[in-house]
Amino acid sequence: MIPFLSALRATMAGFGMVMALVAQQPAAAQQDQAVPQELVTSLSSDIVSIQSNFTGTEIVIFGQISDDLKASHPDAKYDLAITVEGPGQDITTRRKDRFLGVWINRHYETFQNVPSFYAAATTRSVSELAHRDVLDDNAIGLYHLNLPISGHSNVPVNDRDDFRKAFLELRQQEGLYSERPGAIQFLTRTMFRTTVPLPANIPVGAYKVRSYLFEDGSLLSRQEAQLYVGKVGFEQVTFNLSRNYPFFYGLLAVILAVCTGWLAGVIFRRD
Amino acid sequence: MQLYLPIAEIPVNIFVIFGMGGAVGFLSGLFGIGGGFLLTPLLIFSGIPPAVSVATVTTQVVASSASAVITYWRRKAIDFKLAFMLLIGGISGSALGVVLFDVLQSLGQLDLVISISYVTFLGTIGALMLVESLRAIRRRRTGHVPTARRPGQHNWIHGLPFKMRFRQSKLYVSVIPILVLGSVIGFLGTVLGIGGGFMMVPALIYLLRVPTGIVIGTSLLQILFTMAAATILHSMSTQTVDIVLALTLMIGGVIGAQFGARMGQNLRGEQLRLLLALLVLGVGLRFAVDLLLTPENVFSIAIMKGAGA
Repeated sequence: MIPFLSALRATMAGFGMVMALVAQQPAAAQQDQAVPQELVTSLSSDIVSIQSNFTGTEIVIFGQISDDLKASHPDAKYDLAITVEGPGQDITTRRKDRFLGVWINRHYETFQNVPSFYAAATTRSVSELAHRDVLDDNAIGLYHLNLPISGHSNVPVNDRDDFRKAFLELRQQEGLYSERPGAIQFLTRTMFRTTVPLPANIPVGAYKVRSYLFEDGSLLSRQEAQLYVGKVGFEQVTFNLSRNYPFFYGLLAVILAVCTGWLAGVIFRRD
Repeated sequence: MQLYLPIAEIPVNIFVIFGMGGAVGFLSGLFGIGGGFLLTPLLIFSGIPPAVSVATVTTQVVASSASAVITYWRRKAIDFKLAFMLLIGGISGSALGVVLFDVLQSLGQLDLVISISYVTFLGTIGALMLVESLRAIRRRRTGHVPTARRPGQHNWIHGLPFKMRFRQSKLYVSVIPILVLGSVIGFLGTVLGIGGGFMMVPALIYLLRVPTGIVIGTSLLQILFTMAAATILHSMSTQTVDIVLALTLMIGGVIGAQFGARMGQNLRGEQLRLLLALLVLGVGLRFAVDLLLTPENVFSIAIMKGAGA
């Protein structure tokens, strides 16, 4: 399993290299704009296919900072942040309280349209990258995510932070939220790469991969790329059947169950 | 071997699931229960989303009860008329259950109601069965010959109107308790995501005095049809029936059930009931502990809308 994985990883990395080089060409074509492209990034793959043997994967993100930039500002401090964000979800966080000796859900808060997946990779700890406002505006870092709450919350105002914190912790435990400072490595003076692990329980849908370049704490450039996570083959056919023809899907399940039961009865018949 | 489940959207170890299906199938064949009350918590504890566990177990119960029904059918140990009357009650109870299920889910109290119901019903039925079976075993030990069937002895149920004759069960009773029993179990079954065999079997034996030999086959036939309806209803409303998970569970389940059914024939009735009582009490206790002990994390999250909801 391990050699296979590393082989896969090597292939992905190689592919990523090629993609990074290819991506430079359109960037070069855009050089006629007044400002040269400071930041170029590319994904190892823009589609993640989920098949029956899917147990999670990782994507490699390559990129390059403009050489001119480095040359013209030799003393400047450059930092990078890359975020991967999944499609939105409404998620309710509930808190149990003891009531008549039994633990039951009492207070709850619903976070609306929050990312179903969020991974941030940065060159250094998030708070050192830029001013808080910049981080908040661009949703860089777990504690700078915008988590809007629904109007009908019954949580006392002074407990709200607890719910936010608990939500982020639970999502991190599930592997769906992560923040990894120092996870971006520089391959050369201007070229960098990072890998973002995608756990097996990632939701399907359109993901956004955003890259940010900071110069001395101010945002210099940002790039956005799409990543699509989807089921293919049998997984896709089954899922589509269950959503588009739910009655027949249910009937199929029942027929399958009765046949299995009957078959077992025939096979194991002794009397 | 890991296998990705298309509806649950997570990978599972297929052998673990197969083994769970087999173990629960064995018990279901042994005791003539659907096994849902064991399998649903097992799946939830192993990380399958609760909604998927509840819906998929209904499909697995169809397979395991179909397998067992054939065995009892061949032995002519099914009262079809009784099963049909129970089913009429069961379907109306299920319809009510679906409504309550939706209300509780939107209030976020479904887990609580499931836990409390499990504790209450499993605790009560388990304790009653335990006492009864121990008494029966003691009687046997002391050499007292029990009168298995006392046709002359009637309880209040036998005084109700609308009587109907059930030849196979050698019964002449009112349809009211049968319809009520069917609908109560259909209702509880839908809310709790279980077939309800563990409640049906003792109720038929102790309340209606259906002969023990007929009870299991009849109860299983009733469960087969209720759970088939539940599978289709879940596919259409919650859309959480995972056919891959169900197939893995049912293959393990039907194989286990065959062995369980054979072993059940070699055990005495009261021994069987003692074992089932201990099992039912154990599961009930497990839920009680969860309700009473301080949870590791008082917070929990649930996806309400969007990807993966």
